[in-house]
Amino acid sequence: MVRGYYLVFFRFRIWPAERILSDKMYAYISSIWSYRYFWFSLVQNDLRQRYRGSVLGMGWSLLHPIAMTVILCVVFGSIFQQDYRFFGPFLLAGMAVWNFLTQSITAGCNSFFMAEAYIRQQPIPMAIYPLRTVLGLGFHFLIGMGLVVALSFWFLGWSSVAPILSILPSMLLIFLFAWSLSCIFGLATVYFRDTKHLSEVGLQILFYLTPVMYPPAVLEGRRLGILLKFNPLSPFLELIRDPLIYQKLPSFETFGVAFAITLIAMGVAYSALKASEKRIIFHL
Amino acid sequence: MARIELDNLSLTFKMRACKSITLKEFLLGKIFTRKAPPDIVVDALKNVSFTVEKGHRLGIIGHNGAGKSTLLKTLAGVYYPTSGNRIVEGKISSLFEITLGFEPESTGWENIAFRSYLQGETPKTIASKKDSIAEFTELGDFLNMPVRFYSAGMLVRLAFSIATAIDPEILLVDEVLAAGDLAFQAKARQRMKDMMAKAHLMVMVSHDLSSIESICDQVIWMDHGSVRMYGPSDVVVKAYQDSVQSEARAA
Repeated sequence: MVRGYYLVFFRFRIWPAERILSDKMYAYISSIWSYRYFWFSLVQNDLRQRYRGSVLGMGWSLLHPIAMTVILCVVFGSIFQQDYRFFGPFLLAGMAVWNFLTQSITAGCNSFFMAEAYIRQQPIPMAIYPLRTVLGLGFHFLIGMGLVVALSFWFLGWSSVAPILSILPSMLLIFLFAWSLSCIFGLATVYFRDTKHLSEVGLQILFYLTPVMYPPAVLEGRRLGILLKFNPLSPFLELIRDPLIYQKLPSFETFGVAFAITLIAMGVAYSALKASEKRIIFHL
Repeated sequence: MARIELDNLSLTFKMRACKSITLKEFLLGKIFTRKAPPDIVVDALKNVSFTVEKGHRLGIIGHNGAGKSTLLKTLAGVYYPTSGNRIVEGKISSLFEITLGFEPESTGWENIAFRSYLQGETPKTIASKKDSIAEFTELGDFLNMPVRFYSAGMLVRLAFSIATAIDPEILLVDEVLAAGDLAFQAKARQRMKDMMAKAHLMVMVSHDLSSIESICDQVIWMDHGSVRMYGPSDVVVKAYQDSVQSEARAA
């Protein structure tokens, strides 16, 4: 199965997906695709509703990270005497990835409950509902990333474009990871209502163990440094920061670990959905 | 091709005494508590078997809680059977719980789009149907308002108009004829008749025995989750009426 995914990821154009994925998986994915107008219009609607009635409307999606950046630059520039040219984009990149992944978990917990009325009406693949959640969050992630790219170009300058381009597959990977997490935590919440609260507490702790606010080098050689090594989120942060902040391609190891984590999450999400999606309705 | 075949199908709801267990109970319960509260088991459908071929109109009758709606939802695929087989060939359109599943903050127009997409429409096919759906609702400018401000009757109008705008092969109906105000009911009845004429196969749940007898040619009488009787509509409806009357007399 692992090999199958590998081929899909890298040779999508050469190998038709239906020959690589198992028949069931292919049928599942194409079924999700066949409802694309449904979930896509709901995502559009969610984004529109979010700023309904506000003067700036969608502008808030852009303004929020900009305001964040300005604050970070001022704080780091004048108070901490740090070079904001480095720390501003560094922090913003970390926040963008962290927020996207953790919000996918916390919002994903509710995704099936919010969709109860649809679930009671039409049997459609359940992965669609977490997808709706994650795509909405992904829109803000994209804006955040756009800002990081702009800042990285402006403050740090680019010596070559190749590393920058590597963030495109990385972002796809992060998106797939977020979708899988959202499915897993959504299902878990259906069966154990406490999952949402437990995950909120867990993420609070994880925040300090993840190099969002500080570079991983700070903890190197200390006991906590080992924890960073096994933190499943840190490779995803590196995937974005290496090219945009440090101007280098992520190491093969980083990419491989992130890829493996995503694969495992997708596998867990798919098998959990297959095992229980038909019974979700009895637990809502 | 439209065909429904249920083979020895059973559906069991298992409900916990309290609505759901917490993670703590799940982890600790197995170690410390010897007696877990027993699950409440409801046999909603018991060994239901029948086959309906193309061209038939099947009615489902029975007292409240007999499993009529559950059977309909199982046919639609919303409920998955605990055991047994369900074979349904053909594109299904279901008319039940139609007033649920609106995005409350979105306008009527937007909700027409969401619902239609859920039923498998595409932007192209909707473009031609949107106006006729809107016209059938008779809601006019209210369609530009968020659905949250609609009255119950307006919601029914909107939901019914969208749900009936497609040409299904299999039509599943649950008591929707008693929807909306009188003028709309007459209109809805006509729409239903048109749809039934077009659908290859229809299954309908209703308490209105006279409309069941006039619309359906076959009837299933459900009793406590199992099929009590299955046959031509006049025979089954007569038997049901007799049984209800004799029960009333006995009481």
